Amino acid sequence: MMSRPHLVKPGHFALSLVLAGVATGAAAQQPASGQGAQPTQREQELQNRVDQLERRVGELESSTVLSEPETIVKEIQVYVDENGVEYDEPGPGRRPVVTYQRERVYRRQAISEKLDEALEDAASRSVAVGVDAAIVLQNVQQSTGETTPADDEFYELASADLFFTAGLAQNTIFYADIVGLSGTPPDNEVGGLTLLNGYAARLGEQNELTLREAWLMTELANQKVQLAAGRVDLTNFFDHNAVANDETTQFLSDALVNNPMLGLSENGAGLATTFDPKNGFTARIGYQQSSSDAANLSDALFYLAEVGKLVTLGDLGEGNYRVWFRTDNSSGQDQTAWGISLDQKVSAAVTLFLRAGQAETSDDLGEPLDDDEYYSFGFQLKNGGTFNPEDAWGVGFANTQLGAGDEEDLIEGYYNLRMTQKLQLSFHLTHVTEKFVDAEEVGYFVPGVRLQASF
Amino acid sequence: MANIEKLLTVAQIACALVVGAPLAAQDHTQHAPGSPAAVATAGRPVKITDPASVVLIVNRDSNDIGFMDIATHKMIGSVFLGNNVNPHMAMMSHDGRFVVTGGTRANKAYIIDVATLTLVKEIPVGFAPEHLAFSPDGRYYYQGNPDDDSISVIDMVSMTEIKRIPGLVEPLNITFTPDGSKAYIGNYGAHWVGVIDVTRHELAKRIAVGTPPAVAKLDPDRYLGEIKGVSNASMSADGRYLYAADGDLGIVGVIDTREDKLIKTIRVGADPWRAYMSHDGRFAVTVNNGDETISVIDTSKNEVVATLEGGPDMTGVNFAGGKAFVISATSGFVYVYNATTWEPAGRIKIGLNLQLETATTDVADQKLYLAVSTNHSIYTIDAATEAVERITGVGLYPWGTHVMSSKDNYCH
Repeated sequence: MMSRPHLVKPGHFALSLVLAGVATGAAAQQPASGQGAQPTQREQELQNRVDQLERRVGELESSTVLSEPETIVKEIQVYVDENGVEYDEPGPGRRPVVTYQRERVYRRQAISEKLDEALEDAASRSVAVGVDAAIVLQNVQQSTGETTPADDEFYELASADLFFTAGLAQNTIFYADIVGLSGTPPDNEVGGLTLLNGYAARLGEQNELTLREAWLMTELANQKVQLAAGRVDLTNFFDHNAVANDETTQFLSDALVNNPMLGLSENGAGLATTFDPKNGFTARIGYQQSSSDAANLSDALFYLAEVGKLVTLGDLGEGNYRVWFRTDNSSGQDQTAWGISLDQKVSAAVTLFLRAGQAETSDDLGEPLDDDEYYSFGFQLKNGGTFNPEDAWGVGFANTQLGAGDEEDLIEGYYNLRMTQKLQLSFHLTHVTEKFVDAEEVGYFVPGVRLQASF
Repeated sequence: MANIEKLLTVAQIACALVVGAPLAAQDHTQHAPGSPAAVATAGRPVKITDPASVVLIVNRDSNDIGFMDIATHKMIGSVFLGNNVNPHMAMMSHDGRFVVTGGTRANKAYIIDVATLTLVKEIPVGFAPEHLAFSPDGRYYYQGNPDDDSISVIDMVSMTEIKRIPGLVEPLNITFTPDGSKAYIGNYGAHWVGVIDVTRHELAKRIAVGTPPAVAKLDPDRYLGEIKGVSNASMSADGRYLYAADGDLGIVGVIDTREDKLIKTIRVGADPWRAYMSHDGRFAVTVNNGDETISVIDTSKNEVVATLEGGPDMTGVNFAGGKAFVISATSGFVYVYNATTWEPAGRIKIGLNLQLETATTDVADQKLYLAVSTNHSIYTIDAATEAVERITGVGLYPWGTHVMSSKDNYCH
């Protein structure tokens, strides 16, 4: 008969069996509690114990462990002859066919694993929704020039982006971005060449939802070629920069987010094609209509082309070097522009960036002017020199000079405090100097705070 | 009495299922104390004469360990472990005599005689045994039991569990020092590395690789949810330093093995799984699944020298032919990097809708053996030409591979 289980240590038990002179484990050294009982009684006691254990096994298997066969649908290749007979192996007159077949596997899984799989499967079939919301509070303090309405004013802009992503087919997704903005950025009153709040670039109508982007993307040629078509924002595909490209987490000033020489004023119908063999070289071409007033697809059309290369220079870290070229017929004649964007790590913590560009331009009568010119540079510090490990800060300078003679100098510093994975708070201090041909030079300090949440 | 014997057998099985505790080991031998394997394999035909000539394949669903000839890519045989065993990782002893594996769902360790492909011992261990390692002298086999928060110490002479080391927190990988005096345990359920005194088989020290930042209090979802701690402590080529990546903290802690103290923390990408050491010892590479990058650490400076785009769900890094091959489990690609300049060098397409697991590299550093579970295949990748060959019929749901003396024997 069997003795009671005795506790060895928390969570671990050892059972000893003593049965009609057959002993195992430590019980062999102990007198059997049922000594002297009739064999039938011992058998009954043992039977009862086994029944108890079997019940326990049943409970365990039903509540904590799944051991029933798992069903998986597999892609398989078979060979079919002219009569439709299917074979596993190739042979004369047989053609290869890819088909799908259920397969049973015997894998014991914990319920938690099963639940995880089910949740993951459900998530992959549904539309993923993301939110990117921000509140930007800025103040303007005029530093030079005749007092303007912006001096000593506060400005606040609230932005909420809703992203929708859904998988439609193999390597094919649909993406849409709906944005709502409300508030007053300082740009209306400062009236600079570039936006002091990069979010304002999205501001179409106050308090209305705007469809910023809606496109289908698919990948071809062993996923080396990526095609995105629909209503696109080509700045998401061109003129990337690792540390000066995102108004939600990096610089707030648009001159340190995008290259103004690109000249894209609003999103529109277009196509972006990326060739990325994952060897450090990338090539992109695309077109986009950048005016909602366009009458047909030939109007206000931008063509863009870019090549980029990731290189490692000596003991420096990786650097990304890109050069792009565009044409634009918005003015009624083709005008070209070119630009570069590079970011180079110089240590594990410090990344430098540089952007520059030049664009043909004309006056209101279509007469050509000197080219518009732009450059910016700066650095970002991350993974060191911060209060918290995932914080980052940076300083950047941008100069924009129009062919008509107007010029802007802008310098911005920011510190981005990453409070949680979903919430970031950043502090910005910008100084901008506007030098207009027919007006006195004016300068502004623009301190600001950005609270940004994404989930 | 026949009835009683039957009941006894049922009871023993039930006991093993219910308590999963160190009951008497089930011995497949005909018993010869001190040399169980020799007796168990006596008279059996020798199937493998050179243990370095085979690739081990861990098959989770067919519950066996497969043995494939490296030269011919033909299966020599496999050793069935039992129903619902679900082996997780296998390793060959340094002398090539035995293969050991942990059966995750059976709560047992298994010892296989390589020459005859015979299962010679089943040893009950802690819950859900997964990763394991041999001591350098081959005397002990440490089996990690992550759900039991313990390490089972298996004496390879007596083939018994001589001790179970408690006090760990979801122990995953085990790394012995070259002299065998200490073993370092990655605790995935915590942010420290356990130091085991191998002489006494006791947890001697806990080395914190980092502490959560002050803002962690604001982010309970991240720090109080599922913990992603230290999966592995990877040893430098000279055995002096350990590189222990911590997933939640996004860092690699560098541990001096002489003094068993943390000498530096290196910030890498988000959610690093572990560090993989290049064969020349110059670099440690982490795969960062949080931001789908890899971080390359120069071990002479203990600094990140490159952060490069990777793929989703990366499970391992292999080094061969002057390149680093990074396995992206769910994309169907193996990403390739120049292991000298650390520039991306393309990616190798294994297939669509496949789940890539892990790979081992042959001792010549010329060929990789990649386990692909969902189509029950092993893929060889020629490091020089990047040519891929699929090998089928290796078993069901291969989870990992192993080649004796390879520098890229790891699991996930």
